[in-house]
Amino acid sequence: MNDVTVEIKDLQMNYGSNQVLKGINLNIHKGEIIGYIGTNGAGKSTTIKIILGIVDGYSGEVMVLGQDIAKDRTEYKRKIGYVPEVADIYDNLTAREYLTFIGEMYGLTFDKADSKARRLMDLFGIMDAYDSRINSFSKGMKQKVLIISSLIHNPEILFLDEPLSGLDANSVMVVKEIMSQLSRQGKTIFYSSHIMDVVEKISNRIILLNNGQVVADGSFSELKEDLQEGSLEQIFNQITGFDGYEAIAKDFVSIVEEV
Amino acid sequence: MKEFRILKFMDIFRKVFEKSGYDYFILRKILQVKLTMDGRRVSTVFNNNKKTVVDSNNNFLKSLGIYLLMGLMLIPFVAMNSNFIYQMSILFAVMMFFIMTSLISDFSSVLLDIKDRNILGTKPVNSKTLRLAKTIHISCYMFSISFALAGPALIVSLAKNGPIFFLVFIVSILFLDMFCIVLTSFIYLLVLRFFDGEKLKDIINYVQIILSLVIMVGYQLVSRLFNIVDLNITFVPKWWQFFIVPVWYSAPFQMLKTSEVTNTYIIFTALAIIVPIMALILYGSVMSHFEKYLLKLSNNSAKNKKVIKKPGQFLSNLFCRSREERVFFRFASDMMKNEREFKLKVYPSLGFAIAFPFIFLFQQIMDSGIREVSKGNSYFFLYFCGIMLPSVLLMIRYSASYKGAWIYKTLPINNVTPIFRGTMKALLIRLFFPFFLLESVIFTAFFGVRILPQLVIMLLNMLLINILYFMINDKYLPFSESFEDAKQGDVGMNLLLMFVLALLAGLHYLLLSVNYGIYFYMGIALIVNLVLWKCAFNIKAEKLNGN
Repeated sequence: MNDVTVEIKDLQMNYGSNQVLKGINLNIHKGEIIGYIGTNGAGKSTTIKIILGIVDGYSGEVMVLGQDIAKDRTEYKRKIGYVPEVADIYDNLTAREYLTFIGEMYGLTFDKADSKARRLMDLFGIMDAYDSRINSFSKGMKQKVLIISSLIHNPEILFLDEPLSGLDANSVMVVKEIMSQLSRQGKTIFYSSHIMDVVEKISNRIILLNNGQVVADGSFSELKEDLQEGSLEQIFNQITGFDGYEAIAKDFVSIVEEV
Repeated sequence: MKEFRILKFMDIFRKVFEKSGYDYFILRKILQVKLTMDGRRVSTVFNNNKKTVVDSNNNFLKSLGIYLLMGLMLIPFVAMNSNFIYQMSILFAVMMFFIMTSLISDFSSVLLDIKDRNILGTKPVNSKTLRLAKTIHISCYMFSISFALAGPALIVSLAKNGPIFFLVFIVSILFLDMFCIVLTSFIYLLVLRFFDGEKLKDIINYVQIILSLVIMVGYQLVSRLFNIVDLNITFVPKWWQFFIVPVWYSAPFQMLKTSEVTNTYIIFTALAIIVPIMALILYGSVMSHFEKYLLKLSNNSAKNKKVIKKPGQFLSNLFCRSREERVFFRFASDMMKNEREFKLKVYPSLGFAIAFPFIFLFQQIMDSGIREVSKGNSYFFLYFCGIMLPSVLLMIRYSASYKGAWIYKTLPINNVTPIFRGTMKALLIRLFFPFFLLESVIFTAFFGVRILPQLVIMLLNMLLINILYFMINDKYLPFSESFEDAKQGDVGMNLLLMFVLALLAGLHYLLLSVNYGIYFYMGIALIVNLVLWKCAFNIKAEKLNGN
């Protein structure tokens, strides 16, 4: 098949004696928006970091756009965009300095990066801050800069880790729409988040990771049928074997009420 | 972004870089960004509460200026002609100290950068280029710092000891730098191997504090050291000297100047060259481990140690009457204990205040002998402890996490008195008393128990100054302002209070010769203290500054 963008075969990863990924197999296609979900420590970010090439020492095979990333560790990154969960950003720089720098790293010319960044900032409504230092930005503004920096080089594959955090409701709608338009253009989007409602609505394929293994893979309607649950949140709870939320909440409240 | 001269210089070698398989454009870009960001950082040598908005390399240039000044101290070591192995050893020891500490305090952010991994690691940059960029980045700072430090000595050595000496000196510095960079990295590696990132940050913090302190006290000490150290001892090689790094680097100079070429000196020289190179090679091979441990920095697996005793409970119960006051006493104690930036700003001046009495006492002893001094009144130098109080008091309003101050607003407190009272008590009991007590014990041991009543008066007088300073100054809630806004306290006010303290000390001195005069004084000081303490904290919430 020609439209496979990311292919993962028997991916395993150990941190010391702790096996975080226990053999993951995935084929991701063009135009898919993958809701990539799992509990804390399930191995989501490890998978993403391996694909991005910032974590080494895995076993198995990862192919991105037909190339084994273990062989050429650099060139494939031109086709990838990344919004990290923690806002890792050189915040001593101004937005212009940062975005042109990132653009140039991806091989754009300064002028091209500058003009694209400026127009994208303008569309996000933060044009005024283009020449201000990022450390003076609010959380939402930083997030917008991160989103722009992940897209400035027109990547084929996008990894978004909680991309909506800190954005106001209007910006959230804009970003969601951007994602669906990008996917219609044939881009692949990995969307990982803990907010199930959004994942449910946005993704056309959901991959649920638990304990380093893929435990569910399919569209939301497929999962719903298989598991006889109404919402992704309930599916998530059922698969990860978490059914005690009522009891925990009850105990919690009773402790709160002690004075 | 600015063009940097070093980058223009690098452009000359563009072809060489490209031939060796580096992506020159990327390399240059990364360095440009890094240098730009460094210009916006403040260095520890220069942490005097400045607004840091100057957009240039100014900060770094200024700290270079300070290193240059420190470098003046090194001139005598090359100018003297007594015993090169000793004098050059001292010189290299001093240089090593400054290079290592400044590496740890100012460049740990470069060595330990984990942002790089996420930002640059995900970009199409080959790791070879990335590593070279990092190496060049650190090296150019190391070299500028070490040549600023050694600059004055270098010039003098050229004039006095000739060009060969000069060249050997330069080469030695380069190797020493290399050694220091690798050694620092290994120290980090070791710490990260066994501890987590928090521990490392603590260690870095303490090194920063020590560096600031040494720079403050250094001027005082070095000039005195000259009188003590006898440089005319003949050098007898011993086995342990093979482990003293500065000695390695001084060996070539000894051979050069005295033309006595012995096996020992040759081995030293060989060590000076081979060890850094070997270390560098070794480092290259463990680099990947290092990067793995670096990940520890980001995930602070906060395993809490079991707290056996409830800390501070005892002291807060002892010194605070109301419950709210106790709460804020503990809060302030915890904040002062945990806040690294607070420690960095405050501890050096604490250390300074501790060192000062001893420095003066020491000088007295040098001048007139121990016996004479111990009978006299030199314990009055202890008043210098008091100079730290205003600066500590000034800093208590700042915090790196100042935004947390919203809790004051949301808590059901109708009166700010316990906040200030509790904090003030915590500050005195946690920071001031332990140091004063320590000094008092040492001074009592030296001067005899006869000075005990005097110590009490000193303490009362210093407390008086402290509370006065608090009353006169604007009030801010503790830990509620950003360090970025920190300004030097009102210098005039500070001087005035120091003058008052001097006056009080003078009065104290005069009353020594009056029968029971000091006890009378003690009583009055106690009463004034109590009265001031009573009214100082009646602060209306509306009178508060900030927010």
